[in-house]
Amino acid sequence: MSSATRPSAAARPPASADALLVAEAVQKTYVMGRTTLVVLRACDLRVRAGEFVAIMGKSGSGKSTLLHILGALDVPQGGQVYFGGAPVFAPPGRRRLRTTALDVLSAAERHRIALRRRAFGFVFQFYHLLPELNVLENVLLARMVGTRVLAWPAARAAARADALAILERVGLRDRLRHRPSELSGGERQRVAIARALVHRPQILLADEPTGNLDAENGAALLALLKGLHADGQTIVLVTHDPGVAAQADRVLLLEGGRLRTV
Amino acid sequence: MYKLFLTLRYLRKRRIAYFAIAAVMLCSAMVLIVMSVMGGFLDLLKTKARGLLGDIIIDNRSYSGFPLYDEFIADIASWPEIEKATPVLYSYGLLRFSETTQTQTVRVVGIRLADVYVVNAFKSGLYYETYYPGTTTLAPQAQPRVGFDPQEIIEIRDEQGRPVGTGPRPVLPPEHQAALERSWAAGLRDTLTPPTELTAILRAAGLPEIVGVYDLVDDHGPPRFTGNELPGLIIGRDIIAERLPTAAYKRFWAYPRGCAVALTLLPLSATGTADIPVKQPFRYVDDSRTGIYEIDSQHVYCDFELLQKLLQMHATERVDPGTGRTIGTVPGRASQIQVKLRPLVAGRPVRPEAVAQRLSEHYHALAADPRFDLGFDDRMLIERVEALTWEESQRHIIAPVENERRLVTILFGIISLVAVVLVLCILYMIVLQKTRDIGIVKSIGGSSTGVAAIFVTYGAAVGLVGALSGAALGTVFVHHINEIQDFLTWAFGWRVWSREVYSFDAIPSTVRVEDTVAVIVAAILAATLGSLLAAWRAGAMQPVEALRHE
Repeated sequence: MSSATRPSAAARPPASADALLVAEAVQKTYVMGRTTLVVLRACDLRVRAGEFVAIMGKSGSGKSTLLHILGALDVPQGGQVYFGGAPVFAPPGRRRLRTTALDVLSAAERHRIALRRRAFGFVFQFYHLLPELNVLENVLLARMVGTRVLAWPAARAAARADALAILERVGLRDRLRHRPSELSGGERQRVAIARALVHRPQILLADEPTGNLDAENGAALLALLKGLHADGQTIVLVTHDPGVAAQADRVLLLEGGRLRTV
Repeated sequence: MYKLFLTLRYLRKRRIAYFAIAAVMLCSAMVLIVMSVMGGFLDLLKTKARGLLGDIIIDNRSYSGFPLYDEFIADIASWPEIEKATPVLYSYGLLRFSETTQTQTVRVVGIRLADVYVVNAFKSGLYYETYYPGTTTLAPQAQPRVGFDPQEIIEIRDEQGRPVGTGPRPVLPPEHQAALERSWAAGLRDTLTPPTELTAILRAAGLPEIVGVYDLVDDHGPPRFTGNELPGLIIGRDIIAERLPTAAYKRFWAYPRGCAVALTLLPLSATGTADIPVKQPFRYVDDSRTGIYEIDSQHVYCDFELLQKLLQMHATERVDPGTGRTIGTVPGRASQIQVKLRPLVAGRPVRPEAVAQRLSEHYHALAADPRFDLGFDDRMLIERVEALTWEESQRHIIAPVENERRLVTILFGIISLVAVVLVLCILYMIVLQKTRDIGIVKSIGGSSTGVAAIFVTYGAAVGLVGALSGAALGTVFVHHINEIQDFLTWAFGWRVWSREVYSFDAIPSTVRVEDTVAVIVAAILAATLGSLLAAWRAGAMQPVEALRHE
């Protein structure tokens, strides 16, 4: 780990041996013209390994923003996120909110890319599958990302086996060659879950995964998430639906830019 | 791995990319065609110039010529670099065909035929010498006529191959017939010239075909030479025959081999003063094709010594005008000396520039030798004599074409920037369309440079596919460029390539490997360049903003 990402003694999170993901005083503000919108004021969060945490809040309360920051997709203006005890972002003074095509040169960005490749799995409300790829290819893409071209022939068989296993688990083993446009909403979301899990992430971050599904598909998806949790998968789920949140071990409410336990 | 995978997938699935590929293809093909035609033109010009002139040319750029050419040739004959040297005379004259009264101005070239065969590629362009080897000579000769061999009766067939009876076999005089049979046995066939009635009869009988045009004997008797013995004249092919669109030449019965023609010449004195015109009858013994229209439509070739005499440029006695007594010799003059070099001497390649320099110095040293009693006029002619390599001597023609080629390639290269802009626009459009996909790829761990690399690779792939198809299209086009022109001429009356303007009778149609490689590399680089802005934008996208893109 480089000095840029190594936590200083003061920046270390309070001792908590089983905390996998910790957010401390996370702040996020959007500036739109002359209007400044404070979305996250000082969010604190601890997620233990194997825990299923639901974050609730009204629309526009900053749930997705918080999830994106937890998953290293977005950069907070203040505070820090620790994953496995290591800070995810550079110290605030050296933090860049905008990236460029050359940001891979920055150690902090490289660290976040590595986390997204290996530690985090994302599930989005609108599935976000690549329309040109079929089900199997969408899932395999997550494995290709971390593999070099020359290493792929050797890694391909194992990646394919993992992809088939996870697609079997989500019930799409018979839809491998179908494109997203040929699937129902529930099926697409299950492909998205398979893609999020194929690289065996330590934490699954789900942003309103049932938000775009009917009740039946929503229930089936929740059952799938519960099954994954039962197998030890750490899950952080964002929802505005109390029924969905009720499936979690712990429910937090995001209100006024701060998290509190419900 | 995801970069290559997505690049290939986008290339297959994004049909808009086909427009970028088409633009790169057309631009590559366009530049390749221009480079090939201009480069081919230049190569042809150089090849023909060298073929016509030999390796080194010594002259003084004056129709009055210069003296001491034979002494100089004898002097340098022992040089190890020199394979052969021969004098050449140039003049202008009026050519008249006795049978048709066709008259035209021509450039008359005096040559020593046997020497010229060695010095340059003149022999390979002779028609009758190819099919009747050893029969073309510039010495005085009568007209060879086709007769009949009563000992050999053959079946006569018409042009459709139907038998129409029998008759004696048409044959040429023995020397010509033997030469024909030698070339026939060696497998030489004239496949270009349309067959005459005579060739058709012999072809049907499976006998060596008499090619070209020969007069028949008047009495159906044996073959023989008829008429006065007249010196031979080789005539440029475009004077004597008509070039067909198929590149073949059609010869006319009115101009059989050995027919009489007359040349009217205007002798020039050493001071350049014109004398009384002289007329000399010749026999048309062969026709020459260099491939340069200006030469083939204007040049005739006769014996060097004869032309020298006709132009009064031969050696004569110098007479004292006061006493009328002979006081010496006025040396003969030649317009040019053509020199062929040996490629290697003692295992080392011969450098024509260095030899030309030495030849120049040697000529002037020779001319300064007091044993040659030269007059003032001759000394003036000697002053400007210099030896140049064939490239230097043709620099005034080659250099402008080289510059033209460079200029046209640059201009078309600039026009091809349109393809770069098109690649830029199309890739930028694809990036905008694929904004959400970029967010997805970044959310699963794609880096900014990785995402940018997808689009740079995409641009390079567009360039590669476009350049390869453009190279293929350009190569096919260039290979068939003359057929395409013939079709355009036939269909619309358009003739882009004018033989009169561009010297050569066909558009050069050779694609050079180095040109093709250069065009492919440039097209790939240009398309990659065109993708950079789009790639930069794609790489710089924030994953969250990209995912929220509507």
